[in-house]
Formats: sequence, C-alpha cells, structure tokens
Amino acid sequence: MNNPKVLLLMAILLIAGGGLLFLPGDEKKIRNNLASFAEYCSSIKEEPVIETLQKAAQAAKLCTDPCKVQIESFKIDREFSQKEISDRILMMKKRLPNTNFSFHDTVIDIPSDNIGEVLTTLRLHGKTNGGSFTDAYELNITAEKKDGTWLFSSFTVVEFIEK
Amino acid sequence: MPSTPLRRFFFPSLNKKYLVRLVFVGLSAYLIFGYLLIPLRIQGKSMEPTYRDRSFAFCWRMQYLFSQPKRFDVVTVRFTGRKIMLLKRVIAVQGETVEFREGKLYVDGNLVQEPYVIHGSDWELAPRTIAPGHVYVVGDNRGTPMARHRVGQVDMNRIVGGVLL
Repeated sequence: MNNPKVLLLMAILLIAGGGLLFLPGDEKKIRNNLASFAEYCSSIKEEPVIETLQKAAQAAKLCTDPCKVQIESFKIDREFSQKEISDRILMMKKRLPNTNFSFHDTVIDIPSDNIGEVLTTLRLHGKTNGGSFTDAYELNITAEKKDGTWLFSSFTVVEFIEK
Repeated sequence: MPSTPLRRFFFPSLNKKYLVRLVFVGLSAYLIFGYLLIPLRIQGKSMEPTYRDRSFAFCWRMQYLFSQPKRFDVVTVRFTGRKIMLLKRVIAVQGETVEFREGKLYVDGNLVQEPYVIHGSDWELAPRTIAPGHVYVVGDNRGTPMARHRVGQVDMNRIVGGVLL
C-alpha cells in the first residue's frame, strides 16, 4: 500500500471517476436544460405574477432566438422569437394554472459536436376545481451548442395517431 | 426468545442461502414487472367506465408475441418509452374501413355494437381505411367531444401489449 505508483494510480482513478460523476457531459447538460425547462413551464396554485413572469422568461432563455416550433394538429409551423416564446408560455400558464410539466423516456443522440437530437415524452398533469387532467405528447427536440451553452432550437410534436 | 416460524419469516438469519433467495426474488421481480407484466397506474378518463381514473392494471407484453391485435382488444400504446402510455381499445384492424355516424361505430359499412360504451355521443367521422401494419384505436369514454379525444390509426409497432385486470 506504500508503493507510490499504486497510490498515484488510485489518485488518478479517483479524479477520473469524480470527473465523470460530477462534471456533466453534453448529454447531462441537455437533460439538465430539459428538467429546467419543465420546471419553468410548470406552475403552482396561485403562483405570484412576478414569479410567473420570471419563469416564462427563463424558459425562453433556454431556447435559441429564433426557435422553430411544429405542431401539425394546431397548424403551427414557424419560427418564434424568444419574446414570443416567453409570451406563449405566459399564456399557457394562465390557461393551465397548477399544472406540472415533466419529461420522461428521454433519448439523446449527439451526432455532431454542436447538435443534439432529443426524443422525449412530455407529460402534463394538472389539477382543476373539478378534478385533475393528464395529457402527454411525444416531442422531437433539437438542441444546439452556442458558445458552449446548449439551447433548444426546435420543438416538433410527433403525431403518431392519425385521425 | 423462541424461534417461531413467524419470527423467522420477518427476521430471517442472514445466511448465504437467504441472500441467494433474496437476489433471485429481486431479479425475478425486476424482469417480470419491468419487462413482462408492467404495472399501470391509470390517469385520465378516456377509458371510462371500463378503466376508471386512478385505477390500476397490468400491461401483458407477451399478448401479441404470436398474434395480432383484434377488434375490441384493450391495448397500451407507447410514446417514446414505456413510462407513459395510452390505454385504448382497438376498433378496426388493417384493411378495414372505419367510420362514426351519430356516435355509432361502423366497420366496413356495418353497424358494430359496443357494449362497453355507456356515454352516448354525436361523433362523426368520415370513412377511412386502415393502412397496413396499423390499427384504429379509441377510448371507451365517448362523453367528450371527438376533437378532444385522442383517437385514430396507430402503427402496430407502437403497441406494447394487452391489458390484464
């Protein structure tokens, strides 16, 4: 145990292991951004207005300016500025108070250094006066690395049920 | 204190045999409930009255291993994975033509009785033929407008399994 070579090897392994555990890679960073996005879009009952405004702005800051949104069933297929995204999130929060957003079954592929493809399921669970509601959507999200920061550059709702 | 069977059951001696048994039970539970018989916590009212909001069921993944979904089967339809799934009833299979007239289901032009439907509806859907490799799924609760109900043809690759309970 007193062999300095063994001690050095153990120290290197510990540092490498710690680095892998605590320094987030690109995939972890995208996952963290998704979790933050879900948190900012969620709203609690009787959320203070200032907090709602801040959260909507923070959610928009996780997106590129502009950011493409495609929702075929709502006939939406265009680019939105960060301001528009913030406004839309505010409108949504007003329409869906006391609603929790969460992402599940997330698969992240990083085909090149600056592009990430995310396939995930968005789950909405909200409480209304008459009870509760649950909804889910499959999303295809593109993330782009700009100046070392990952931002969402497109959101596409995958419509796998064809009426 | 005497070693009674009840005491041994709750406080077993941690010997090698017990640990092997524990690992076996843990692994079996993980494989069975993670891959074969997936527990479902139902949220939402789209399958009422057959499956009520906040009730519990299992998804049996082996159901369509050697067969295809049939009309009236209740199936689970996945999104990107198996954590969030839709619970729906198959009402038509590939090659069939499905339509709704005044809330009544017609398959290939013939009226189909749906005993599981309690709430009447005024659903209207023009005839459409189901594509190969697809099935047409719908919820049992027709009390909501069709526009707000997730209904339509879905690729059979999306079907995770049948529903038990």
